[in-house]
Amino acid sequence: MRAVDEGLASCHTCGRVESASHHRCGRCGAALHVRKEASLQRCLAFGFAGILAYIPANVMPIMIVNQLGIEQANTILGGVFTFWRMHAYPVAITIFIASVLIPGLKFVSLGLLCAAAAGKLRLEGRLANTMYYLTELVGRWSMVDVFVVVILAGVIQLGNLMTIQPGGASLAFGLMVILTMLSAHAFDPRLIWDRLNKEPI
Amino acid sequence: MHQSVSSGWPRAGSVRHRVACEYCDTLHEVLLLPEGKAAHCTNCGKLLYQNRPESLQRAIALGVSVLLLTGLMMFFPFISLDAKGVESRMGIVGAVVHMWEAGSPLVSLAVGLFVLGLPIFLGAGLLFLCLPLSRRRYLPGMEVVMRLLQATEHWVMVEVFFLGALVSLLKLVKLAKVELEIGFWSMAGLMVCLAGALAGIDRLELWDRIEHAKERRER
Ligand SMILES: [Zn+2]
Ligand SMILES: [Zn+2]
Repeated sequence: MRAVDEGLASCHTCGRVESASHHRCGRCGAALHVRKEASLQRCLAFGFAGILAYIPANVMPIMIVNQLGIEQANTILGGVFTFWRMHAYPVAITIFIASVLIPGLKFVSLGLLCAAAAGKLRLEGRLANTMYYLTELVGRWSMVDVFVVVILAGVIQLGNLMTIQPGGASLAFGLMVILTMLSAHAFDPRLIWDRLNKEPI
Repeated sequence: MHQSVSSGWPRAGSVRHRVACEYCDTLHEVLLLPEGKAAHCTNCGKLLYQNRPESLQRAIALGVSVLLLTGLMMFFPFISLDAKGVESRMGIVGAVVHMWEAGSPLVSLAVGLFVLGLPIFLGAGLLFLCLPLSRRRYLPGMEVVMRLLQATEHWVMVEVFFLGALVSLLKLVKLAKVELEIGFWSMAGLMVCLAGALAGIDRLELWDRIEHAKERRER
């Protein structure tokens, strides 16, 4: 038995189950909705904005290294290749996973979840749960490259020897991570289960 | 009665106590769990609620540790470099300020918020809730603080920053002699305490304790 079938809504903030006719939760005061409000629209809007930010994040330099007066702009993928050539395989793989693979998979996963919630695609309920859980879990880890730039720029202030400036991609990348986190947060996995309940196998 | 409130959660026998699964909306009666056990959704398996042992005491201890370690992290250097006699030293606050001056105010703000501001808020917020609640006292504003804690906990990125520090170290050791300072080790400790603080207490339990303390005051 689902809460919605009993005319009940569970508060998104504190989890209290109340009559769906109430506008506010009696315990925590949050607005009460049966499902997250405009969930699909918000999820898609943040997701597309995230994809837009993903492009400059990969094309623009993430940092500009000034070594003995010579400036060199590094992109994220460039950094992965540099580490790979230096035989620092674990670092190259870590950066690749956190900066390229995870954001890409997040877009795919959110796209599939939205399609399933909109009834365009049939997704098994538990699989959808796992996809959503992982999408929410890994979101923050993509921020790692932005933090690397902050640390390197902060510590490498060696006068004429070497300095590091943040590049445009650090902002674009940070924005992309924030937007995809907002997108995942806006999604309501109950929409998928609602579909499954409506059309029994 | 009082004993069961302080050690056992959730309150058994309360008519209102039902919980709907966050993922599939299946309705469940809330049962009194033995300490250390968790209840899962019968339909999809999602975690519904847990009864964490000594939850309030642990949250208080971890809240204090989070504040202390964040303080250490802010006031002590993080990493220092020695490149052929040219020395450079970085603290977290310095790195945030440097980012601002280097023309990236938004990145600077994001780091300040995700790595310094929110951990402080989380530690202080937990103390504000759990200290009075451990004596079953209610304070006005507890609901607001709890809502803010829940809204911000996903945005705490100390462990991500720490991974970033490890990646940076691998770049730095090729350039210069690197020294790990107190700030670095404080962050390692902070990471552990934050993870413990977030996992050590159930959200529904905290809300229930707040509600109970409030009812008790109004009676
Ligand atoms: Zn509520
Ligand atoms: Zn469920």
